[in-house]
Amino acid sequence: MSKDEFSLSVHNLNLFSGETRLLHQVALDIKPGEILGLVGESGSGKTITSLSIIQLLQKSGLTSTGSIRLKGSDRNVLDLSEHELQKVRGNHVSMIFQEPMTALNPLMTCGNQVKEIIVQHRKLNDHEAKSEVLQLFEQVRLPDPSKKYSSYPHQLSGGQKQRVMIAMALANKPSLIIADEPTTALDVTVQAEILHLIRDIVREHQAGLLFISHDLAVVSSLCDRIAVIYRGEIVEEGDSKALMEQPKHPYTRALLACRPAAHKQGQRLPVVADFLGNDSRPQHKTISVTQEAFDRPTDAYLLEVSKLTKSYASGSVLQKAKTEYLAVNEVSFRVRRGETLGLVGESGCGKTTLSRCLLMLIPPDSGSIRFQGEEITTLHHDQLQSWRKKVQIIFQDPYSSLNPRLAVGRAISEAMLFHKIVSSAQEARLKVQDLLVQVGLKPEHYHRYPHEFSGGQRQRICIARALSVEPEFIICDESVSALDVSVQAQILNLLNDLKSAFGLSYLFISHDLSVVRYMSNRIMVMQKGQIVEEAPSNQLFEHPKTDYTKKLIAAIPKLQHENNYVKT
Amino acid sequence: MLTYISKQLLYALTVLIGVVITVFLLFQGLPGDPARMTMGQRTDAATIENVNRELALDKPKWQQLLYYINDISPLSVHELTNSNQNKYNYHTVITFGKYVLVVKSPYLRFSYQLQKPVSDMLLQALPFTIVLAFLAILFASVFGIVLGTFAALHQNTLLDRLLIFISVSGISFPSFFSAILFQWIFAFVLASITHLPMTGNLYAYDLDGHTHLNIAAIILPVITLGIRPLAVFTQLTRSAMLDVLQMDFIRTARAKGLNKWNIVWRHALRNALNPVVTAISGWFAEMLAGAFFIELVFNWNGLGKLTVDALNKNDFPVVMGSVLIASTLFVVVNLLTDIVYGWIDPRIRSARN
Repeated sequence: MSKDEFSLSVHNLNLFSGETRLLHQVALDIKPGEILGLVGESGSGKTITSLSIIQLLQKSGLTSTGSIRLKGSDRNVLDLSEHELQKVRGNHVSMIFQEPMTALNPLMTCGNQVKEIIVQHRKLNDHEAKSEVLQLFEQVRLPDPSKKYSSYPHQLSGGQKQRVMIAMALANKPSLIIADEPTTALDVTVQAEILHLIRDIVREHQAGLLFISHDLAVVSSLCDRIAVIYRGEIVEEGDSKALMEQPKHPYTRALLACRPAAHKQGQRLPVVADFLGNDSRPQHKTISVTQEAFDRPTDAYLLEVSKLTKSYASGSVLQKAKTEYLAVNEVSFRVRRGETLGLVGESGCGKTTLSRCLLMLIPPDSGSIRFQGEEITTLHHDQLQSWRKKVQIIFQDPYSSLNPRLAVGRAISEAMLFHKIVSSAQEARLKVQDLLVQVGLKPEHYHRYPHEFSGGQRQRICIARALSVEPEFIICDESVSALDVSVQAQILNLLNDLKSAFGLSYLFISHDLSVVRYMSNRIMVMQKGQIVEEAPSNQLFEHPKTDYTKKLIAAIPKLQHENNYVKT
Repeated sequence: MLTYISKQLLYALTVLIGVVITVFLLFQGLPGDPARMTMGQRTDAATIENVNRELALDKPKWQQLLYYINDISPLSVHELTNSNQNKYNYHTVITFGKYVLVVKSPYLRFSYQLQKPVSDMLLQALPFTIVLAFLAILFASVFGIVLGTFAALHQNTLLDRLLIFISVSGISFPSFFSAILFQWIFAFVLASITHLPMTGNLYAYDLDGHTHLNIAAIILPVITLGIRPLAVFTQLTRSAMLDVLQMDFIRTARAKGLNKWNIVWRHALRNALNPVVTAISGWFAEMLAGAFFIELVFNWNGLGKLTVDALNKNDFPVVMGSVLIASTLFVVVNLLTDIVYGWIDPRIRSARN
């Protein structure tokens, strides 16, 4: 096969930052109309590979060797000048980025942003360009294209914005499209639609697609071939089916195995270190999780919520008819001691408002919250403060939920000292160091600052902080959503360990249904501020009652060609 | 949008009423004898009494305040007399008995010293200040944004560092010092080259009595007045630009194959302007209140100089008038800024609708 027949052909690509090698002999070939999935965790080099292909890496001090060739040109992309690259970008190769919310210019209409890429590369007048944009909008199935043309990005939903990005990527009929985690920021039902669209478009235009993702299920359902990247090196590549059935490299096997979807509740999740056999694994006291942890819920109710309502007023003060938006609408549920209650729903359904109300961070409009039989909504300020130590929360983003100027030890001991759980700073310190060990960190981390830790480690710090006041109930609000699947497995294991060690109860909030299924005894499904269904985990998944739940479950990307990969 | 603007106007009115009351309390609410101040120590009792009646100083304080508000309000009630007609120069809306409801331009009373209506004095000085402030802010904004963008695009190069150094020095120079320094260098030492006058005004009089625009006289005041905001705007634009250039949509623009000029001009700059617009409006409003030092040093007959002169002579009606006019201008500039925000950012526009 001659080189011309490839949309993209990468050989021996190396990337150095000073002495450090970021990419090691990367090789990729994509034929027209073919979808190649590039899978790896954060820091594995998948994004820098994609940015290298159109030379968009911004850091100076990077040197690359090897060859990157595109269809219709026998020149190496690495040898092109900036001016020549500008003619390639958006014309022969285009990109779809992860965050449609931030990848579009907020001050420019969607139509103009797409028109711009056409006018830049082809000699079309304004009118012709506009009619092409409208055609593209129709192709990507944007509702009401002419209205969307003059809309600004903030007026579109996340899925619609991603459709605009896709229209932009298609505009000049490129021979290669690179999609970098294009659906990671989207709801599961929207993700399914966008993946469908991407596949149709690639087949129709006969463009090559490099699809980058951390999610094996997504990749296996979409891609023809899959390449697995680990520490800047492609460790395994092959036909999707073959790779899923017979993963050869231990890292691939590990990635497949540590997904919560592959395990029953109470089973301990394997982590990557189990497969690669290196010793960098954190040494922590392992408390074995067993089925017991899930059978433990007692009959005593820890938390009873009834008819909780919170609305936000929209519209100005001067307008008489205020429109009310019910974020949480008459929600009632109960949590037993020692139980994990799951809460799923798409973005904007009121999950976060509900969790803030439970903590009384936002006062609810009406309804009651009883904790251990005590009514919380009517507590006075002082009483509320001392109650707060019983209920803690672990947030989604471990990067922004830790104060960057506060040493880890101080961050953890702050609440302990406030609630007088310890009498002296000396005692606090010993206790914090103990906690650090319990969550799999080291006592000497006490004096370090958050930026010195990885995402998973920071989430461990957040967990230690939540545990510091000896709470009885912890709300995990998307606590593992920002983490890689292997790190996610570690954190989920830790949460279960702590649950059985301290008899904790969790409210586990996530948009990821398979994680919620793995973690929870019961699951509530939330839609537009209301609980539409509540059932024991397995029952909910096997016999969903409402259409909404059915739709959510159907949209979960399933691993294709699943096999006996669980064996280590 | 209309409801938004009317709401803002309502807020503005509330602010102005607050200012009027504060100004009254500051200057007339405190103990002291304005009549004596006006007429000096050796005036006869009859004159003092006249002044007292004119300023209603013989009434209780709360009545004085009501009179003051009534004088300033464009919609007011007065006794139907000829002297009032002359004094306020009003248009009658409706008459009822001895009183009349009128529309008029705000009456700011008479200067103690010059016995001229304060409003005339202010209106005379205002155009000078507006021209000076407008040119200075224009100079500072254009150069500030251009230099700031330039510095951001050449981050960490020698040029960038030089620009930062210069702008830090620009910020640290007090304006009275730089005014005197510039005046000395460019209008005295180098006068034979620059041909710039030491002092002067917008208009100059020929020997035959004609007036003509005096461009040369405005250059130094504009530059000295603009130099600190210029430095501030440069720094603000630079840091806002550096933030914006890191954003995802700039990466998208690069991935589209746009050239650098398009990326900076169409995508980055507008997104970086918000903090700069805030700063520009603040400085502009402050300059409109009168650039006291600059006007004094260059002998520029604007609001600032008028106010300083009035303060020196305890001419309170003039000071009160200029405080009022300055706060009105502040409020107006803020309203305009709000509209500019909406014009730049569609998100703000739709939040208002």
